[in-house]
Amino acid sequence: MLFSLEEVIETISAVGVETFDIRTVSCGINILSCTDSDVNKCAEKVYEKVVRVARDLVPTARILEKKYGIPIVNKRISVTPVSMLANAFTEPTAVPIAVALDNAAKELGIDYIAGFGALVQKGFTRGDQILINSIPDALCSTDRVCSSVNIGSSQSGINMDGVYRMAEIVKEAAERSRDKNGLACAKLVVFCNAVEDNPFIAGSFLGAGEAEAILNVGISGPGVVRAALERAHNLSFGELSELIKKVSFKITRTGELIGREASRMMGIPFGIIDLSLAPTPAEGDSISDILELMGLERTGCHGTTAALAMLNDAVKKGGIMAATYAGGLSGAFIPVTEDAGMCRAIVDGALNIQKLEAMTCVCSVGLDMVAIPGDTSVDVIAGIIADEAAIGMINHKTTACRLIPVPGMKAGDVVDFGGLLGKGPVMEVGRHSPAVFVRRGGRIPAPVHSMKN
Amino acid sequence: MNNNKEQVVITVLGANKPGILAGITRTIADSNVNVEDVSQKIMQDLFALMMMTDFSSANCSFEDFQSRMQAMGDQLQVKVFIQHEDVFRYQHRL
Repeated sequence: MLFSLEEVIETISAVGVETFDIRTVSCGINILSCTDSDVNKCAEKVYEKVVRVARDLVPTARILEKKYGIPIVNKRISVTPVSMLANAFTEPTAVPIAVALDNAAKELGIDYIAGFGALVQKGFTRGDQILINSIPDALCSTDRVCSSVNIGSSQSGINMDGVYRMAEIVKEAAERSRDKNGLACAKLVVFCNAVEDNPFIAGSFLGAGEAEAILNVGISGPGVVRAALERAHNLSFGELSELIKKVSFKITRTGELIGREASRMMGIPFGIIDLSLAPTPAEGDSISDILELMGLERTGCHGTTAALAMLNDAVKKGGIMAATYAGGLSGAFIPVTEDAGMCRAIVDGALNIQKLEAMTCVCSVGLDMVAIPGDTSVDVIAGIIADEAAIGMINHKTTACRLIPVPGMKAGDVVDFGGLLGKGPVMEVGRHSPAVFVRRGGRIPAPVHSMKN
Repeated sequence: MNNNKEQVVITVLGANKPGILAGITRTIADSNVNVEDVSQKIMQDLFALMMMTDFSSANCSFEDFQSRMQAMGDQLQVKVFIQHEDVFRYQHRL
């Protein structure tokens, strides 16, 4: 027999018991061909192209789920940053493009579509300004559109005008979606070193260096890693790392299979596999649970950064060998409201925003799905974004902020965003003001790339 | 390997009782799916059966076959999994 019964049962129980799935098959679509000075005409072209290129995405994923017995949880779409199209608009709004993307997603049965964004790490074009000014309106007048703006990079430094403007946008988006606890902010990411091939929402977009259309795959699997660790006791660090590498290899290989098959069936090139462990609010599908199984009393206690660094590195080492092309963000996600274990650690007083920031130095992707008090000032939000961007800039890694200043809520309150976005406690932020610093204007210069201490 | 083959792994898990193998193989035969290898174990009281089959000569679609087998599984009160062999090959073989 080609496989042993034990091997077959291992694969089956990974899905049935340990919540293994393919988190996303994402189709990136270049929409630069849709350019038009009339925003409404451009929107029509965008709708037509997205629907045409991605028509088979959901049906293909359904066939593959059945064929291999592995759930593909999300089918998603990303497009070229819309700011590039907005440069041509006579009228200074990009909202009709967001509406077109939303309609296309609904037509195709896609839950989120991303790329309503801009890259402003060095400065703003007219299109960038149009796009950024449109974000609150776009996120509040659509259901499925996600937005991201890149405000810094290791090569360019940090555009602090961009940081401050995005802090204002975060605040405005929260206020505009007050009736939904600031939900619009859950669809808005502020990046440093954004990647061009990230398949994960909300920060996904198709980079300018990418092909006409591309398929990228995001694996998941915290539950599978957790189950493996539950069965293993008294392992040294080397043995622990080996175990995680093996699990990561297997889940990535499955992603590779799905990516290749989807690519063949749709006639769209296979881009990359993103080797990220992505938690969900489901019990057991938690990065925090893995860290605690590694021996931490609660995530956030001293030792957490080291444990996360080791986990993240082992996942990559195992996954890289399994993937023809690894890419995207590739690291352990530590969102707060999307991970029940992280929420428990905050409620227990073990994890605060400062420790969370430290953890983002060693994993992807940043302060993700962090609910903060609704009265947090624009200055403080800008300070949080700037800190996170600085970590990314200096360490040559992607960092991001998806902050939700929940209107009317204070630290310790519990906010529920529903579904995959989860629910969790509002986190306390620092009380002192960085106002003079964050309002200086201009850019933080690009860092020196040698003398790395 | 014969490239025309379409190898599908059938796994059956459930509480052991008479008639499971008979019921499962009857449905497979009725669908004209060819069994190439069988491995069966009783683990404690759990009935575990795995079959490597060739689906290329089947008289129904893959989806219909899954439904037929699912119905038989429900009747026998066992869990039936029908998966293309590639998923196991990718995970367990280099």
